[in-house]
Amino acid sequence: MNASSPFLATITSEDAALRNRSLDSLCEALSIENLLSEAAQLEAYRQQEPSLYNRVRALFFLHGIHRFQLPARNGYPDQARLSHQAHELILNRRFEEAIQALLSEMKTSGASDTLSSSLAHAYHSLAFQTLADQVRQTVRSTAGNTWIFRMGHHLDHPLKLRKSLLEKSGSNKVYPILKEQTAVRMDLTHCAWSDIFFLGMDYPEGARVLNVSVDLGVHGRDNEIRPPIEAYLRVIEEPILRLCSVDLGTTTELTMVDEVFDFARDYLGLLKAAVIASGLVPPGLEGSRQKLSSVFESIIGEGKGLEIVSNVNRIPKGSRLAVSTNLLGALISVCMRATGQTASIDGPLNETERRIVAARAILGEWLGGSGGGWQDSGGVWPGIKLIEGEKANVGDSEYASSRGRLLPRHTLLGKEIVNEDARKKLQDSLVLVHGGMAQNVGPILEMVTEKYLTRGSKEWKARNQALDTIDAIVENLKNGEIKELGKRLTENFFGPLHDIIPWVSNIYTETLIADVKTEFGKDFWGFWMLGGMSGGGMGFIFDPSFKTKGQAFLSEKMLERKHQYENALPFAMDPVVYDFRINESGSTGTILAGDSAIFPEAFYQLTIPSALRSNPQDMTDAQRGDLRQYANAIQPNQPKRYSAADLIGRLLPEIQQETDDNNNLEALLHENGFDREQHEQIRSELLAGRIGLAMNRVASSATISDVGRNELYDATRDKNADFEQIGQNAIRQGEVAVVTFAAGVGSRWTQGAGVVKSLHPFFSYQGRHRNFIDIHLAKTHCAERSFESRIPHVFTTSYLTHQPILEHLERSHSDRLRDSAYLSSGKSIGLRLIPTERDLRFAWEEIAQQKLDEQKQKMQESVRAALVDWAKNFGEAADYTDNLPSQCLHPVGHWYEIPNLIKNGTLARILEQQPQIKYLLAHNIDTLGASIDAELLGWHIQSNATLSFEVMSKRLEDRGGGLAKIDGRIRLIEGLALPHESDEFKLTYYNTNTSWINVDKLLQFFGLDRESIKNVKAVEAAVRKIALRLPTYLTLKDVKKRWGEGQEDIYPVSQFEKLWGDMTTLPDFESNFSIVPRQRGQQLKDQAQLDSWVQDGSADYINTLCTWTD
Amino acid sequence: MKVTKALITLADPNQRSLPLQTLIDQNGRKRSALEVVLEETFSTGIEEVCLIICPNSQESYLNAAGEFANRIQFIEQAEPSGYAQAIKLGKGFTGDHAFLHLVGDHLCVSDSGLSCAKQVVETAERANASVSGVQATRESQISSFGAVGGRLVDRQESVYQIERVIEKPSPTQAELELTVPGLRAGFYLCFFGIHVLKPSIYDILEKTTALPTPEGRSLSTALNLLSQREKLLALEVSGSRYDIGSDYGLLFSQLALSFSGKDRDRVVTGILELLASKPHA
Repeated sequence: MNASSPFLATITSEDAALRNRSLDSLCEALSIENLLSEAAQLEAYRQQEPSLYNRVRALFFLHGIHRFQLPARNGYPDQARLSHQAHELILNRRFEEAIQALLSEMKTSGASDTLSSSLAHAYHSLAFQTLADQVRQTVRSTAGNTWIFRMGHHLDHPLKLRKSLLEKSGSNKVYPILKEQTAVRMDLTHCAWSDIFFLGMDYPEGARVLNVSVDLGVHGRDNEIRPPIEAYLRVIEEPILRLCSVDLGTTTELTMVDEVFDFARDYLGLLKAAVIASGLVPPGLEGSRQKLSSVFESIIGEGKGLEIVSNVNRIPKGSRLAVSTNLLGALISVCMRATGQTASIDGPLNETERRIVAARAILGEWLGGSGGGWQDSGGVWPGIKLIEGEKANVGDSEYASSRGRLLPRHTLLGKEIVNEDARKKLQDSLVLVHGGMAQNVGPILEMVTEKYLTRGSKEWKARNQALDTIDAIVENLKNGEIKELGKRLTENFFGPLHDIIPWVSNIYTETLIADVKTEFGKDFWGFWMLGGMSGGGMGFIFDPSFKTKGQAFLSEKMLERKHQYENALPFAMDPVVYDFRINESGSTGTILAGDSAIFPEAFYQLTIPSALRSNPQDMTDAQRGDLRQYANAIQPNQPKRYSAADLIGRLLPEIQQETDDNNNLEALLHENGFDREQHEQIRSELLAGRIGLAMNRVASSATISDVGRNELYDATRDKNADFEQIGQNAIRQGEVAVVTFAAGVGSRWTQGAGVVKSLHPFFSYQGRHRNFIDIHLAKTHCAERSFESRIPHVFTTSYLTHQPILEHLERSHSDRLRDSAYLSSGKSIGLRLIPTERDLRFAWEEIAQQKLDEQKQKMQESVRAALVDWAKNFGEAADYTDNLPSQCLHPVGHWYEIPNLIKNGTLARILEQQPQIKYLLAHNIDTLGASIDAELLGWHIQSNATLSFEVMSKRLEDRGGGLAKIDGRIRLIEGLALPHESDEFKLTYYNTNTSWINVDKLLQFFGLDRESIKNVKAVEAAVRKIALRLPTYLTLKDVKKRWGEGQEDIYPVSQFEKLWGDMTTLPDFESNFSIVPRQRGQQLKDQAQLDSWVQDGSADYINTLCTWTD
Repeated sequence: MKVTKALITLADPNQRSLPLQTLIDQNGRKRSALEVVLEETFSTGIEEVCLIICPNSQESYLNAAGEFANRIQFIEQAEPSGYAQAIKLGKGFTGDHAFLHLVGDHLCVSDSGLSCAKQVVETAERANASVSGVQATRESQISSFGAVGGRLVDRQESVYQIERVIEKPSPTQAELELTVPGLRAGFYLCFFGIHVLKPSIYDILEKTTALPTPEGRSLSTALNLLSQREKLLALEVSGSRYDIGSDYGLLFSQLALSFSGKDRDRVVTGILELLASKPHA
């Protein structure tokens, strides 16, 4: 190994200046050969390096070299097949073996873009797997936690319930209730995500957070401000575990130990994780098939059980206040108190106990398959505290494997440091809100980790800047300088945080900030980003005399802006403004005994109706006791009297709402041309097994082979001047128009959130957030200016996207809408179906899946079992109607988008306005590089084909079929139609779904011409005739169902589609194919792609195609 | 330091009958549990032994003491005010001398030539320090005992410097505060029921017994303070202790005595026959 390698020196150096060099700077001057040689050295180094973080850093360097550096070098070969063997290994999380298989293939067939893409993925996955394993290992070996993994039999259970919880008292002779109240936490600095475990464990000096525990109330809804999180525990006279979440309105009774480990069976996974992490039912018992009655006999006594209740006082999910981690903390605390694991059964916890609760909460999050930052359990601690990473020392379980400890150090900033006056000033100035957006921050955290480990120079500078900000903020707080504090927080948001992750912000947040600035001017002191991503929990700091006005303004303005952007951004709920107060006690226990042994009111509203519906003789003693306690609580003389009227309201079902929703759905189906007859036919064929996921595949006897490069037009090489000239002439003469497919909502992009992908302003060009439509129009504008031509631009729409897109065009592109932008509305619609068990099992068992890490895999299996039950209970292939009407409908595939253009008269209108139009460029909304390229148009014109498709060399992420030679004929094939999954790996080229269309030849193929397209009946008959010749695919799509306070469930539903690429399957249809560069053909399918899209230069490339008009 | 006196606590009114239970000792003799405890005590060479008892029980203990009846004294604990209080009552008897203390509801069986009490006394005399006998105990049972954390004393096998004492710890507390280098995972050093204490314990007991909390009733609270003020050692006793007050405690005590004595084969044969005739519950 070459010790002088600058890469290795960067990883191993003790000198910060050397260690913090960025990967980009190391690669800058290196050729392909040099990069491959450095990669080989890094590979050898990481194999023998004992230090975990050095190893991981080498893995990220290798990922960066293969993902960004090599593909960017001119002359790096781009044609190779993906390795099926390596792909299977990756899916099974056998990353190390996959890397070796790929390296060996690279030795045999040479390095290429395709192999590099697989290697990059494998290195990236191995790096995160290594990091996650390390955190889990450390959680398990943290002192105080290890015994719970050793205990495997109930007779060895070392815990005993405190005797005081078994003493009945009061007029109704009830067991006492142990109550834990816990605050939530605010991150006062936005720590630049330095609370990610990986980061804190590698760079403890850089992991620093100022964290405040707060009590909350929803402004205008709640009468009081209080610790928002409550956990309750009491003994019951049945040997079961009863869990209840009053916020989620759900309760369950468990009798077997293994049911406690079945997290996804109901909504009570968090409570189960707490029961396990607290040691009540320790993880060592998992899979032991023991009864809970035996476990409880050891802990409590024969015939006894426990009831655990959680309540977060309707604080919405996604608040960025770490509600779920602190709820986990509260639940763990109450279980630990009950079993003598704390010094005192009531009052605050001591520091050692808080640390154990925090460690157990991390364990609980891991068990539940979720994850948070290490500051998240801050609500368990009181007041304001500085939380900092700590170096691992000899004796720590982390020592030698990481530089830092898993658990940080908490330094309380008591009133002697931040005095009463400063605390009051902070509370008087800050308006805390939930903007209503709920987003998955997982991809962001991965991006941050990767950027930290590869030391992107801009990001590294920003991280250090954010660190300096903390010191300044602490000083501001000490001195009560809230105005200064606001200024710094704003600078932090628009400076370092934006620099590290541009996606931290969005148009909604920035518009709100601008609104507040405009309204309040100098009395608005600053914006406070609470953590993760903006749009959810946020703070606005005002001159104290304007706080009330600020609250009122934000209540109104957030709602207004939400309505403006709700089609473009994922909102989970209406925005709210909070009232808050600093919590100075931390997590605190109380014993409620005798007549005070009362649960929250919502508990009774949830449990009493079912008790009342049961036969009085069958009522348990506990139910009777609860009824009597509740009867006491509704007496007029009670200080916090419960309302019997609310309970009665709960007893009456809400019929009206359901009826309204059904009416809306029927109306929508009617309006959008839903074909009930065809729908019923599909359902019966689906039930009979004639269609389904398995039936999507072409006959297994078909021979499938790859297409040679010489059989295609290669547009990745030097330009063909003749074609370019032909194309330029056509554009100048106004012969071309653009069709952008925008009928789908982009369920992968929005994770089924039901918002319109094309309107998502995901990136900022020239200082403004731009959505997909803005970018496509800017490209068309650029081409118009270059060729001094008018280019009509059509956006195809559906019932889901039409109105929002129209409104956007009217608002932001009104000139173009008046002149040359068209909307082609869809006139076909499908109603989603509940999937069959057969299709669910086919999707999960027959199609290779990415295996998840151990705990997530368990969660997934549990979720899947629940989904099969759901499908069976609601009826396989039954109409899916249990959601918002718009979430029950589906567009029927992009094949219909061109025929719709003819059917709805848009093509006729365009041809009337610009009769010289001869060619259309049709592309997906997410193919940002698809531009009016003169050379490709020229090639299409001279080839005289009806359709010319653009394909590109495959990378690992480009799965889902491609260009193939099937029984000797070159055509496109969808992944779901390939007879065997391994067939995919025979193919070198991926379908970009960008096509050039010869208008007259296409019309001719349909049996139409420029005149007859005005005849509606003739058009409908022509379209139906061709549609019948094309395959119909069944697919499963994820759809979100929202409920409660920002809660979401994801269901798989069946829907049908026909695809544009299948035109190439028709033997009498002439198609042509061209290989195009990746930057032209790649699609943005997933928001997790965004960071690498910027890093690999794609974002800049797109900018070169655009002319911005503002 | 020479240990010449012993205190045996028997004052828990709930357990007043335990020492009166009859067992067969290693030599096949029928003896009361109290006689077994007294034999253990006198095996150390100590001649002055005082029993702290609850009121009105002296006569039955005298009857149960058998051959040792004329060698023991009694102090009555008027109120059931706790274990620590009971030891404090011994101050007048032990005076300014170090003393041996045994709990009356534990029986012990030595694995070496020396009795368990003798092992503790010898260690204390050699080190000139207070010493508590301890036994490595599985974490599932630690919530029944006082437990200690500490480190091995240099060059002495089985002797530990105690740094922390917790009464009936949870496994979580134990893992955090009572880990002892050299012990198997999941095992902690718990009290054996035999201590040699220097008279300085009485000053501490004065303070701790005044506490109104349950901690004030426990000897562990006082021993924890003692460990912070002066040298307090723990000896991992070569032998086993049995709490005759626990479920099946008397049965296991009897078996332990029989297995280490002359009737071992007879008892083992009896048990095997019993098992063979009832292979399943």
